[in-house]
Amino acid sequence: MNTAPHPDKPTLLMAEDEEDTASLLKFLLERAGYRIVHAPDGLQAQQLIDTMAPPSLVLLDIMLPHMSGLQLLPYIRNKPDWQRVPIIMLTADSSEHDIQQALATGANDYMVKPFNPRELTARLSRFLKIAA
Amino acid sequence: MTAVTDHTLSQSMIDVGWLATVTIHGLILFLLGWTLIIRRLRVSTDRRRQQMMTVWRPILAQSVIEAPDTLPPIHPRDRVLFLYVWNHLQESIKGESSDELCAVIRRTGMDRVVRHYLAKGTLRQQLLAIVTLGHLKDPSVWPHLVDLAHDANAFRSLEAARALVRIDTPRAIPVLVPLISQRADWSPLKVLAILQGAGDEHVAHALGEAAVQADPLIAARLLRFLASTRSHRALPLIRPLLDRQPLHEDVLAGCLSLFGQCSDPRDLPIVRQYSAHPTWFIRVQAATALGKMGVEEDSAILIGLLNDVHWWVRYRAAEALSVLPTMTDEKLSLLVQTLPPGEERHILTPFVAKRFEESLPRATGLSAA
Repeated sequence: MNTAPHPDKPTLLMAEDEEDTASLLKFLLERAGYRIVHAPDGLQAQQLIDTMAPPSLVLLDIMLPHMSGLQLLPYIRNKPDWQRVPIIMLTADSSEHDIQQALATGANDYMVKPFNPRELTARLSRFLKIAA
Repeated sequence: MTAVTDHTLSQSMIDVGWLATVTIHGLILFLLGWTLIIRRLRVSTDRRRQQMMTVWRPILAQSVIEAPDTLPPIHPRDRVLFLYVWNHLQESIKGESSDELCAVIRRTGMDRVVRHYLAKGTLRQQLLAIVTLGHLKDPSVWPHLVDLAHDANAFRSLEAARALVRIDTPRAIPVLVPLISQRADWSPLKVLAILQGAGDEHVAHALGEAAVQADPLIAARLLRFLASTRSHRALPLIRPLLDRQPLHEDVLAGCLSLFGQCSDPRDLPIVRQYSAHPTWFIRVQAATALGKMGVEEDSAILIGLLNDVHWWVRYRAAEALSVLPTMTDEKLSLLVQTLPPGEERHILTPFVAKRFEESLPRATGLSAA
């Protein structure tokens, strides 16, 4: 997998295990001009975090196999280069406790599935503008 | 004579043994062949499914924005798989993208297929058809879905009720609420999901009205569902229930649960009053409600309940104290220190630990940000 930063396109690390959702997100985000690095589970996401340069944004599913999004969050925030990377959590339900915990542990925003594709891309662009 | 008999007997045993050996070997060969055939079929099915997904997954993803001009045909063997993927995608998105996906179903002619499944399919096909038609918001199948919502099979009836809500929520509520009252076999979690999908503006008043008119046990069930909506709309209908004589204890417990979830300060004096009720599960509900809506002075009531004779009351009182809106970490630490060693302190300790455990990442997260 090519994880080298692209000079023109912002890179987005997406950790999502459901193939259909991942395929949909990949299509939507590539169409919106992002380069996607996809991790289908928590462990692969952790390996990518260890090896790749900090992306422009992280899209993190809360429920991931092997290592949950909530466990990955502090791992990301403890890496000096990754501390300012915006992180958006994806959650399958509006579990208030999970959302509160995610926001308290360093997530910048969250989206509840089912999501509106246009709203998702709009939120991502807002974070990228802020980061820029 | 005896020798001849022995010889015949041993010959018969040899024949039986030979026959058994041949039969066993034949069976083994048959099973081996059958296993190979099944394996081959499985591999070929998996390959076909994979090919189908490779073709359709990007098309469906693209269709969320705008479907391509030409769509590939769907082989009859792949229809069920296609519907699974389509429905999964439908349930991952909301907004106008859902309509774009519905256009794909119509353009591929799958809408006719699902209507056929609804009328003559197996249970699996029928369930898929019900869910799909709900997403398609097809009003032409309304009478059929109403019939299916009354079906004896809980899966079929629940999915039909959910599809009715998706097609036309205000029209579905008069069908749905009596069914929720009657169907004790419906999974409460599934019912909650349907109610959430319908939105509390549609269901709260109807559920409240039904609860007021229902028998106590059904009313209690409806009140529990109503509490989960956290809607204030039904409160004016429900409050007069407490004036009824005799007041069924299950109904009272349901009302207290609703008051706690809605946390309207006007209900606080009633909740406090029932914290001293002689029935233990009423005191449990009162303690839980106080934890959600109580004020500073309610900590004294909850501390008193830490001495209750019933364990569940003590447990919920301790939990309520730890989540009381006016409670701070400092006040809670002080409270634990001032309680005498024994049951009161013992039952509160895990909740204090949980509260501090939860506040720890909050503090870490804030410092990281």
